Amino acid sequence: MALQLVRAAFSIAALLLGAAQPAAAALRVVATTPDVADIAHQIGGDRIEVVTIAQGSQDPHKVPVKPSFVTKLNRADAVVANGLGLEHAFLPALLEVASNPKVLPTGPGYIDASIYIQPLEVPSSQNRSQGELHPLGNPHFSLDPVRAKAMAKAIAEGLARVDPAGAESYQSGLARFDIVLDTKIAEWEQLASPLRGVKAVSYHQDLVYLADRYGLQMVDTIETKPGVPATPGHLEELIETMKRDQVKLVIREIAYEMPLAQTVAERTGAHVATISAMAGGLPGTTGYVDSVEANLKALVEAVRAAPGQ
Amino acid sequence: MHSTNRMIGRARRFARAVAMLSAVAAPFCAAPRASATKSDDELAHVKAELEKTQSELGATRAQLDATRAALEKLAEKVDRIESGASTTASAAPSGPRIAPVNADNPAISFVVDTEFSTGDLDPGYNFSLQSAELFISAPIDPFLRGYASVNGTSEEGFGIEEAALVTTSLPWNLTVKGGRFMADVGRMPHWHNEQLPFTNRPESIERIFGGETISEGAEVTWLAPIDHYVRVTTGLYNTIGAENSDALFNNGFDGRRSFNELTWLVRPSTYFDLSDTLNLEVGGTYFTVNQDSTRSLFGVDATLRHQPGTSGFYQGFVLGSEWYWNSERISDIEQGINPDTGETILGSQRFHRNGGYAYAEAFLGRRYSVGVRGDYAEDIAGPADRQRTLSAFATWLPSEFQRLRLQGDAISQDGVDGDDGYQITLQWTGFLGSHSHGFAAR
Repeated sequence: MALQLVRAAFSIAALLLGAAQPAAAALRVVATTPDVADIAHQIGGDRIEVVTIAQGSQDPHKVPVKPSFVTKLNRADAVVANGLGLEHAFLPALLEVASNPKVLPTGPGYIDASIYIQPLEVPSSQNRSQGELHPLGNPHFSLDPVRAKAMAKAIAEGLARVDPAGAESYQSGLARFDIVLDTKIAEWEQLASPLRGVKAVSYHQDLVYLADRYGLQMVDTIETKPGVPATPGHLEELIETMKRDQVKLVIREIAYEMPLAQTVAERTGAHVATISAMAGGLPGTTGYVDSVEANLKALVEAVRAAPGQ
Repeated sequence: MHSTNRMIGRARRFARAVAMLSAVAAPFCAAPRASATKSDDELAHVKAELEKTQSELGATRAQLDATRAALEKLAEKVDRIESGASTTASAAPSGPRIAPVNADNPAISFVVDTEFSTGDLDPGYNFSLQSAELFISAPIDPFLRGYASVNGTSEEGFGIEEAALVTTSLPWNLTVKGGRFMADVGRMPHWHNEQLPFTNRPESIERIFGGETISEGAEVTWLAPIDHYVRVTTGLYNTIGAENSDALFNNGFDGRRSFNELTWLVRPSTYFDLSDTLNLEVGGTYFTVNQDSTRSLFGVDATLRHQPGTSGFYQGFVLGSEWYWNSERISDIEQGINPDTGETILGSQRFHRNGGYAYAEAFLGRRYSVGVRGDYAEDIAGPADRQRTLSAFATWLPSEFQRLRLQGDAISQDGVDGDDGYQITLQWTGFLGSHSHGFAAR
């Protein structure tokens, strides 16, 4: 009896001690874009707490450098970046004053989602007369959901590196995300089949990976060169090219102004599809999967509306 | 749970062993004597069959493991191909790999900031090189980075504007900067000319600091380890301000002085997200030269930004203002004429002067902005020579690295000059290379 009482006392004490221990603090993660933020959240679940710097509707090349992000970076365990220089306009300036060496690009907490991506459009020579080229290649690979699997793998490995105790959890999260994405990728192949072979013009040169996946033929951009606004001369040439090549789709990324895209479409008989280069940019979308689906639906809708399609 | 499983496993193994023994022992129990030799043969046969089965099972397991490993490798390969990842081995052998000799060179950029101006206070027309700035920066080691700015203008020739070392990995959120650099005063006093949203530095800042806050000294910055942004800088300098530094240099000052003659600065600043798109940044500056209370300066600065992040015609605004109160004792000020000798009597005198500016800039489309600025300036010593300037400016960015700006200034002066007038300036700026002054230039 006495032994039972002692055992019971130990059990209660153990329970109380267990209850008194604080829950393990979530890993503080700062994500540079909504895409990597959502993928990290899908993988990390409750083990991580994600703050995002850029908003979906923003131009990733012009994200404001807000001091409030400095404190987030200062206290972060990890930074998840898209990579390939997409964040050049804001991340280096924020990290410069964040006083957190572990999340610098050379630190263990810097997770680059591009490490498994084979970049496209890597410039053979770096020269500003060609516009604002990204020296490491086009960084807008998150628009392709198949490449997003490679991003997810890089993010899961990075999170496991920063938080080894959660390695199994991140691996499970990655497996779950892959299943969701694989299912959707199969659906999207069907959904996007009308895009195959369709000639299109985009506002900015950021659709190479999307076009590569779904067979769009990108003819030109409204911008004269990457990052260089349209000149009247370039627009005239663009309209001539579109008429000659029967281009009936103008893709306007939501961070760029609509009126010019609309004018080009009206003068060429094309239809405008508005998409978002980052998750959450289009109304009604929140996560990465939503965003890809909304983009594809917008493109297919515009293609179906275009005459001769 | 695990122990229960282990127990169940042991029980199963025991049952199997009993069954096996029963099977083996059954013939002996049934006919122990008559068929002893036959039973030995059968037992040997059963054993041989069992060993053969076990061997086959082992081989099957090995094959299964090999197949599973091969499948995993294939799955990884498919993943790599699908994701476009590169293979680890290149198809053809490469030649000797020699590191480029310039691999460790710093980032280099150059700014050309030129302008054409006219006005009636300073009649005529003038082309001038407002700024030609060579900027280099690089990490020095895992603990330190360095940068330097060499600047030249039509008026002042070339000189080293900044050459500083900055720590990158001190504990407790501390950063130490040392060398020649812009002291952390207010918002625009430590900006380079080409960073300004105007064609010229506000006259109030010109008069109080003699241009930028170029200083030789050391600064420590602390970022509070909390969720709210609070940053405090303190520094010690020979003196603060481009003209003050030049004056010391030109007068042959050897750089040695008592500790109390050094300029000591403290600057706290903070930031508030008023909404997702509206934010406010405020700061204060105080610096002093303790020796005989030679100089003390108080300043406040505030910046309100609307950054909607939309793609429409209206893309946000900035309202910014700074105001400074300066109290300075100046030596060698003319006090009068000695009636006996007719010589000028010189002495020291304290002057309390202030000045500041406010401006508003609206961003239109991706490449345009327009704004207005009001400025009030007093000379920091002698007659105040007050100047009020109202400016309007418009900026066009043909690309991210080229800028054209037109500014008109309506100037009202009293005091010695006493004239009103105007000035029109067209500024053309180009950025060669990756030019960025980082967080300070936000």
